[in-house]
Amino acid sequence: MSLQLCALVAAHLSDRRRSVLAWGLPIGLMSAFIVAIFPSVESALSKAIQGYPSGLKEAFGIGELANVEQYLHAEMLSLIVPLAIGYLAVRAVASGLAGAAESGRLDVLLSAPISRRRICAAGFLATGVELAAVLAAAWVLTMLGSVLSGAGLGAGPAAAGFVSVWPLGLLFAGLGIVVCGFTMRTTIVTGAVAGVLVSMYVVDLIGKLDPGLSGVRYFSVFKYYGNAIEDGIEPLAFVGVSLLAALLATAGGWLFERRDISA
Amino acid sequence: MSSTPAIETAGLTKLYGANRGIEDVTFSVAAGEVFGFLGPNGAGKTTTIRTLLDLIHPSQGSARLFGLDSRRESVPIRARLGNLPGDFGYGRQSSGREALGLLAKLRGVDGSGRAEELARRFHADLDRPLGQLSRGNRQKVGLILATFHEPELLILDEPTSGLDPLMQQEFLGLVAEERERGCAVFISSHELDEVQRVCDRVGIVREGRLIAVERMDDLLGKARRKVMVRLADPDGLENLRALTAVEELQIEGGEATFTVAGDIDTVVKALSEHHVLDLEAVHPSLDEVFLTYYREGPER
Repeated sequence: MSLQLCALVAAHLSDRRRSVLAWGLPIGLMSAFIVAIFPSVESALSKAIQGYPSGLKEAFGIGELANVEQYLHAEMLSLIVPLAIGYLAVRAVASGLAGAAESGRLDVLLSAPISRRRICAAGFLATGVELAAVLAAAWVLTMLGSVLSGAGLGAGPAAAGFVSVWPLGLLFAGLGIVVCGFTMRTTIVTGAVAGVLVSMYVVDLIGKLDPGLSGVRYFSVFKYYGNAIEDGIEPLAFVGVSLLAALLATAGGWLFERRDISA
Repeated sequence: MSSTPAIETAGLTKLYGANRGIEDVTFSVAAGEVFGFLGPNGAGKTTTIRTLLDLIHPSQGSARLFGLDSRRESVPIRARLGNLPGDFGYGRQSSGREALGLLAKLRGVDGSGRAEELARRFHADLDRPLGQLSRGNRQKVGLILATFHEPELLILDEPTSGLDPLMQQEFLGLVAEERERGCAVFISSHELDEVQRVCDRVGIVREGRLIAVERMDDLLGKARRKVMVRLADPDGLENLRALTAVEELQIEGGEATFTVAGDIDTVVKALSEHHVLDLEAVHPSLDEVFLTYYREGPER
């Protein structure tokens, strides 16, 4: 990585240093709480789950909830964490590009001998690091909750569960850069990509609930998200989604280079 | 000093759909020259600068900086220039020193160049978050970021806006020193006084078109002087009516007031045949010249 790219990534991370606390702490505390209460609600849960319709259980990734890993997946990793991380990713790239244009920072940066593509690449890489830090903080707090409550959560499966969210977040960062190629308004970039994020989740849900519509799931990245805490990380999906994210970021950089940056 | 112009534009045009940006803007700025770009808000000054910096892409025409194409070779161009954007901003949380650190790394400058010296000179606070600084103090930080690496070309968009008179004076001193160093300076401004004091040449932009490019001396010389004369023999004033250089002549109580466009020599010779009691010829300010151009100036 060039010195310029390192400097830009470091600056981006420095600007967003609070997000590890602002996002990692609540996600981690919530996960820790879920894990910590599992021993006391385990038996009641099993009875309650038996009464759920099978389609609903499948749609929301609720299995038998026979162990803490299944419970953590159902309560956190199947919905809240991926949506939160996807939204955080969009916020991060939108603030680094569209936000920089709005604040005048982009004008200053582009006074220096640096290409716009490199600025996009730096935003994408920094967002990847930021997401990893938030997920790592969340995993640490979750494991702490498990240790303190004696829930017996496996560190490896839990790590796999959190790590599998990373490429999904990265994909929405890439999509955010593409949208920055068309507009430099932070609210529009964030709103548009957050809309895609929720739509993809809903599309995946519909595909799961109605077997006749299962084909629509191919239009959603959530089809490739899976249940890593139980099944382990699917390498092909992990690498494929990460590569797609990088491809989107590259396309976004190409678009960004061609657009006017108005005062 | 290089013979390649620091800036050279040819028919530079930027259209925003049906809206005007700039149209057919052609000028050049030599190395070591201070060039003023004059016009009111909305005339096209900032659009021209953003096109030079490749922040916006021209619809037609071209711009070359240091002989390099502003679009295809934008990165090497920016390695050699410093830019102060109009209404400088960098985000509210960051300090000037953080911005300086990043720019120094991006420019490959060891340390912070002459930033500390400039900060002392302009009484700039590099350590406070920019969001806590007044507009003038932010502008000082912007000036430091634009100049700390001793560029070959400085592009300054409304550089003194928000600066107090003392700092404006300091700024003009800095521009003079930059010129001495061989740096070309392109100043966009509607502060005519600062342009008059520091620029070698000026371009006047009106409604997106460059309507005049003149040497400062020529521009002032071409403008109408206001003349007042009193003769011992008031009838002699009537002879002024025959002179083509004399305009807006008013004779009242033995005193004539009029304007002279161009060469004043014919007027002086005509008056020399009489006993002149009093004579006053006022050189117009750049404000008056500018307003004249703006009302009726020639299309180039």
